[in-house]
Amino acid sequence: MLLDFDKLGGLRTFLIALVVLVCVFLILPIVFIAALSFGSSQWLIFPPPSWTFKWYQDLFADPRWFYSALTSLKIAAIVTVFSVVIGFLAALGLDRGRFTGRDFLRALFLTPMILPVVVLAVALYALFLKLGLAGTTIAFVIAHLLIALPFSIISIGNALEGFDRSIEDAAILCGASPWEARLRVTVPAVSHGIFGAAVFSFLASWDEVVLAIFMASPTLQTLPVKIWTTLRQDLTPVIAAASTLLIAFTILLMIVAALFRKGRKA
Amino acid sequence: MAVTIATGAVKTKREGTLGYLLPALLLIAFFFIVPVLMLLMRSVLEPEVGLQNYEALLGSTTYLRVFVNTFMVAGVVTIVSIVIGYPVAWLLAIMPEKWSRIVLAIIILSMWTNLLARTYAWMVLLQRTGVINKTLMRLGLIDQPLALVNNLVGVTIGMTYIMLPFVILPLMGVIRTIDPAILRAAALCGAGKMQCFLRVLLPLSLPGIAAGALMVFVMSLGYFVTPALLGGTSNMMLAELVAQFVQSLVNWGMGGAAALVLLVVTLALYAVQLRYFNSARGK
Repeated sequence: MLLDFDKLGGLRTFLIALVVLVCVFLILPIVFIAALSFGSSQWLIFPPPSWTFKWYQDLFADPRWFYSALTSLKIAAIVTVFSVVIGFLAALGLDRGRFTGRDFLRALFLTPMILPVVVLAVALYALFLKLGLAGTTIAFVIAHLLIALPFSIISIGNALEGFDRSIEDAAILCGASPWEARLRVTVPAVSHGIFGAAVFSFLASWDEVVLAIFMASPTLQTLPVKIWTTLRQDLTPVIAAASTLLIAFTILLMIVAALFRKGRKA
Repeated sequence: MAVTIATGAVKTKREGTLGYLLPALLLIAFFFIVPVLMLLMRSVLEPEVGLQNYEALLGSTTYLRVFVNTFMVAGVVTIVSIVIGYPVAWLLAIMPEKWSRIVLAIIILSMWTNLLARTYAWMVLLQRTGVINKTLMRLGLIDQPLALVNNLVGVTIGMTYIMLPFVILPLMGVIRTIDPAILRAAALCGAGKMQCFLRVLLPLSLPGIAAGALMVFVMSLGYFVTPALLGGTSNMMLAELVAQFVQSLVNWGMGGAAALVLLVVTLALYAVQLRYFNSARGK
């Protein structure tokens, strides 16, 4: 009874009310920030006395915001490429390999995802200080690659699990070299996993704050670091404008992902 | 015969799968295992060899407060997330797809929205002159604005907001696997709604609740950004302490010690989770 939507009785009203409330709770801050970014109040009074594009103008007038976004984009793009390639190889090795310690290795590859990221950040910061790499793009890429890689391994690994390997064998039997077979048969067959790996790797780097705070230098900042340092000073509505653009970007990504999924079904 | 030769040929051509793991392995070894171990080593080597950093960390009331804050916030966030998240996951699991899709889209949107944007939103919403205080005052529920930010209340609200999706999504998956016929059977046998819930639905979804709770608890323990921004300087949590030792105090010994404590607690809870799941699967 309790698992039949139509037979819940009075309980159903209660549960629906709760779900609506939770939805409001989840969506409220997002809508609120978007609204305030167009409000004229410096102190973020709601409802705003009047509407303005001032904060967006301020945002675009300050080249540091633009450069930090560009830095984020650059680092996320490099991380995505490395994460997908290394993740594909690792997932392939884990899927095909029959050796002892495979489960351990798999768990090891995923550990950076579950450990408190601040520990990794501090540890890497110390290492890069020693190596003289602190505050460089290389340091940023390596740090973000560590947390992006698990997403690639999981996403591509799941796709490989659903892939019938004998198709690849058939290609090899027909005269293809193993790498030819992999690139022209296996890779297209698991393309949805690779796509997922790319999206998650990109987002993992693009949105990452904690590692970025430790990897950043005054001249090399990603967008989250720029937001972080600004936030520590005051709650200026310029951040609301930046956040709104980020939210718009997220929605765009969700739509692309949904269309991609739809296209795959059809 | 032909088949064996053929598969043999395929096999010889496919040797060396271990090589595929090499790039990932090198990355993890040099930039994960080595630096983390080096950091932990410093906790017993700096400023001199010995356990003095751990004595200082575990023996002082200042740091004790940080531990209490951390576990209390993580505990409250976990409980609140489960209590709110369970009914939502339950309804999501059984509601018609056209509605559940909308709810899921909202959950995923909030999950994918930049963490700093979400935290910023709560900083603004919860401030003294913020919408929440204004609304409560207009409704006549309070006379003075409540202090909702720069304290653990703010941290708890902000963290619950972030953790809720991590409870709802897996729980929904677990509840979906429960056969509705079992609950129909319980009802037919005369069990009331309360009894059906307490003695059938809840026990059947317990593995999902336990897994979700443990995950949220572990994630909350090591959280840095939201506590740092919503908690203010006087209400520190463990991850902030690690960062502070290294960034502002440049005390690598203490930083390493605090990191080790955080690491040990996290790994221990993770081990509990693995064991719990393995035994659950074994049944």
